[in-house]
Amino acid sequence: MIKAANVKKFFGEIMAVNDVTVTINNGEVFGLIGTNGAGKSTFLRMVSGVLKPDSGTILVDDRPVYENPTVKADIFYISDDQYFLSNATPMDMADFYQDYYTSFDKVRFGELLGVFQLKPDRRIHTFSKGMKKQLSVLLGICANTKYLLCDETFDGLDPVMRQAVKSVFAGELAGRDFTPVIASHNLRELEDICDCVGILHQGGVLMQKDIEEMKLSIHNIQCVFQNAQDEQAALARLELVRVERRGTLNIITARGQAQEIMRTIHSFSPIFAEILPLTLEEIFISETEVVGYDIRKLIF
Amino acid sequence: MTSGNLFFKLVRQDCRRRMWCPVLIFIAYFLGMEVHLLMELGKYLKEEQFQRAALYVTDYFFGCEASLISIVTCGAAFLCGISGYAYLHAKTQLDMYHSLPASRTQLFWAKYVSGILQFFIPFVVHTLICAGIAASRDIFTTKAAFAMLYYIALQLVVFVLAYGVTVLAVMLTGNIIISILGTGVLFSYSTILSVLYWLLAERFFQTCVIYENRVDAWFSDSERIWCFSPLSMLIRLFITPYNTTMEAAQKFYKYDAGYVWILAAAAIVYSLAAYFIYLKRASEAAGSAIAFRVAEPVIKPMIVIPAAFFAALFFAELSADTASDGWFLFGLIFSFVIFSVAMEIIFRLNLRSAFMHKKQFLFNAACTALLFVVLRYDVIGFDTYVPSDAQLQSCAISVHALMPLSQNIQVSPYGVHFLNPDEYRMANMAVQGNQSVMELARKAAKEQIAYQYFDYYEGIEEDPVYIATLDRQAHYQAISFGYHLLDGETVYRKYYIDMADADTVRLLSDIFADPMYKIGCTPLFNENWDIAFDAVRCENNYRVKELRLTPDMQSNLIQTYQREYLDLSLDTVMHVIPVGTLDFIIKNGHARTSYSGEMLVYPQFEQTIALLRTYGFDMNEKLTADDVKEIRVQKTSEEEAVEYTDKEEIQQILDNIVNDGYSWQIGSFTDYSDKDYIVKVIYHTQDSVSSYYCFVKGQVPDFVKISKKNN
Repeated sequence: MIKAANVKKFFGEIMAVNDVTVTINNGEVFGLIGTNGAGKSTFLRMVSGVLKPDSGTILVDDRPVYENPTVKADIFYISDDQYFLSNATPMDMADFYQDYYTSFDKVRFGELLGVFQLKPDRRIHTFSKGMKKQLSVLLGICANTKYLLCDETFDGLDPVMRQAVKSVFAGELAGRDFTPVIASHNLRELEDICDCVGILHQGGVLMQKDIEEMKLSIHNIQCVFQNAQDEQAALARLELVRVERRGTLNIITARGQAQEIMRTIHSFSPIFAEILPLTLEEIFISETEVVGYDIRKLIF
Repeated sequence: MTSGNLFFKLVRQDCRRRMWCPVLIFIAYFLGMEVHLLMELGKYLKEEQFQRAALYVTDYFFGCEASLISIVTCGAAFLCGISGYAYLHAKTQLDMYHSLPASRTQLFWAKYVSGILQFFIPFVVHTLICAGIAASRDIFTTKAAFAMLYYIALQLVVFVLAYGVTVLAVMLTGNIIISILGTGVLFSYSTILSVLYWLLAERFFQTCVIYENRVDAWFSDSERIWCFSPLSMLIRLFITPYNTTMEAAQKFYKYDAGYVWILAAAAIVYSLAAYFIYLKRASEAAGSAIAFRVAEPVIKPMIVIPAAFFAALFFAELSADTASDGWFLFGLIFSFVIFSVAMEIIFRLNLRSAFMHKKQFLFNAACTALLFVVLRYDVIGFDTYVPSDAQLQSCAISVHALMPLSQNIQVSPYGVHFLNPDEYRMANMAVQGNQSVMELARKAAKEQIAYQYFDYYEGIEEDPVYIATLDRQAHYQAISFGYHLLDGETVYRKYYIDMADADTVRLLSDIFADPMYKIGCTPLFNENWDIAFDAVRCENNYRVKELRLTPDMQSNLIQTYQREYLDLSLDTVMHVIPVGTLDFIIKNGHARTSYSGEMLVYPQFEQTIALLRTYGFDMNEKLTADDVKEIRVQKTSEEEAVEYTDKEEIQQILDNIVNDGYSWQIGSFTDYSDKDYIVKVIYHTQDSVSSYYCFVKGQVPDFVKISKKNN
């Protein structure tokens, strides 16, 4: 488990991370969402032990990570602009990482290179941006570390490759103790892979939620009531997040269990009522609007 | 995996990754060692000079030429240091390395050891190849083998020193260009300060003196500037120290082995400093100019102020009137602003930040102005400084040209080292308890204020002020003092004293009468007498002859001469015409070294003259008209000479001329030759030494005076 408590980081007079408190549980895929400059990379660099927080603590499995090689042996950090040794091939990089990570699986690395159609003896500097991203993910996977920190790793991957990477992640999650932390500025990239998402904005965590829990506890309902009195009475009994009216049609976003919400609405004998599927984006828009942010400007 | 295993893996990994580095080093050493050795040996072996070739290998190639190969070694250290830790300047690389499960300690020392290996392995390979080359020609002796081992150790120390400084510079900066500049600054800062100190002292202080051969004093003045930079240390190691005894001069081409330990200690200190700074260095410093912002207010004045003064000196030197303050001040102000702005831009890597720190700018400007005022108006009293009697342990005095000394010392079969007389005396004289010494020093310091210097320019000879000053200062003589203080420091000053002043002459006479003064003046009086001279060169008015004497005869002659010289008074020097000179010679092949310089013999030196007569040389020899074929007398203002062939006239001329060829050295203290005439004597035989003479003042024969052409 990664626990960050009241973490702050300044670069000169600029506050890059402001009082971040996050808990990342083992075995879950954690998505870190935020615009450019939100502090995602800085936070990941602190979690990986590259940077030392100015204040607050970051514990990985209850141990501080900075200047702690034992803890860092459980972490593989893929930066947004991953460095490869000059003139190196994928196998050179595997050799390089094998020196640091004792459980690096070179055989599997070779297999995965084949799966992703990356030549093991080709110079990496001749690779495209997407190929480099794939390679860095494969190196991270084969390092067999408990935590894999990916900074904007899915940017530049075509949909097919993104899907392939996701399936590799899924295999790892199923097969061993594996906790990927994926930072991205795009929520859509993460919605089908993350279990839990934290939104960073201007250095601070806006919110952190379990996606399933969120999906279960917030719903979009469209309904038409027989009269205005019923409508007002029904809405008063719901824990509303948002209400949009189009003539007599109400589009309601409300918290609570789906059955409970529908039961409440049906008790007023509506002309029409149904639950609409809610995308992760819509959930976040709804959630963050409540706390006063227009999330569309931040992460879409 | 254990930490130890990881460490060695990291070293191996780094060596493999930077293979280009040892390859470049290998090529540089190949050119600097094998190629150089083969070229040099070729010169000796072509002439079958095997002994000299062996000497070259031992004393030069593995000896004094270590200074040359040290340049390559410093270059290698720079290359290894910059390339090894350059990852600290690139965020992408740094993110990777610092996220890896290795401690900073492991990362630092793995790179450090890898860098040393990348230098050491190629270097040792080349050294062994060179030894093999020498051995294949039968000129590699046991002594050469020890010299080689010492050579390897020395180069390793030089490498670690330069490497430590380079790594330290990389740690303190966050950008490769700034790192290179920083390395240059750290590598040479104390040298730069030392040079600047002397340049400013020479410009602003009239009594400042630095001796000709003291390169080490210019670049690594340990008495005034702490020699903490590798360049100062290396100069001190390889350049001859300023002690100028005969024995020390023989070591001219040998480096000071004891000082290598200081270098080694400094190398360790720099390396450890780099390590501890690495532990403290924040990863986010990558890309910024300096890693520690807190050091900024200290670094700026350290760079800007010396740089501004250097530039000021440069502008002053470029100008027509180098002594004027105008161009110096222009250079100082202009350069200060430019350097201050440049530093701000470099630190921020942003043009807009040129005047960001106004308070710092004003503080540095105030420091610069204060330093200028201190120098310009001699606030510290440099020129008027004379230590109190209570501070003084002893004093060295060197009066220019009062006692001849010319030491061209043959230091090896390859070279001659000239010892400056003033320098010799400052290092070897210690006059104590003579009140006249400090009285003269105080008088000289006081009168120095009235002494006027002129910078030469075309037409200065017509400047009335210059003419008047020259006339007023016609009898001024340079005098150097070396104040050896009780605290161990030695302070040197050079003044001009007026020899027309009776009080000055009285004080100087007292000093000249002091045996400590004379003993310290020449090595002939204070060195070990085990030296066996190859010849004693004797010169009188007409003849020169080299006597070959036994060691006992030499010793007898020197002791006799010394005894009589110690009784010599300044009054005699100023008013009595010497009869000849003695010079003690050391020969080495075709090379001749004058050990003593030409020592004057006065008529009062009766025992010396008598002894020389028994050795076969007559100092009082007189020529007659029969020895001379013709005499030509030319007035210095005329172009043509008058020829005299009449025996009577020739004899009259011979009786009144003096050879000033050997007494020119003290000419500024004497006034016995008539400078209006040049007398050329043409002998029947060719064995006479000199054919040019002067008339003794007031003794120009009347027939010469009334000669048509001489009127």
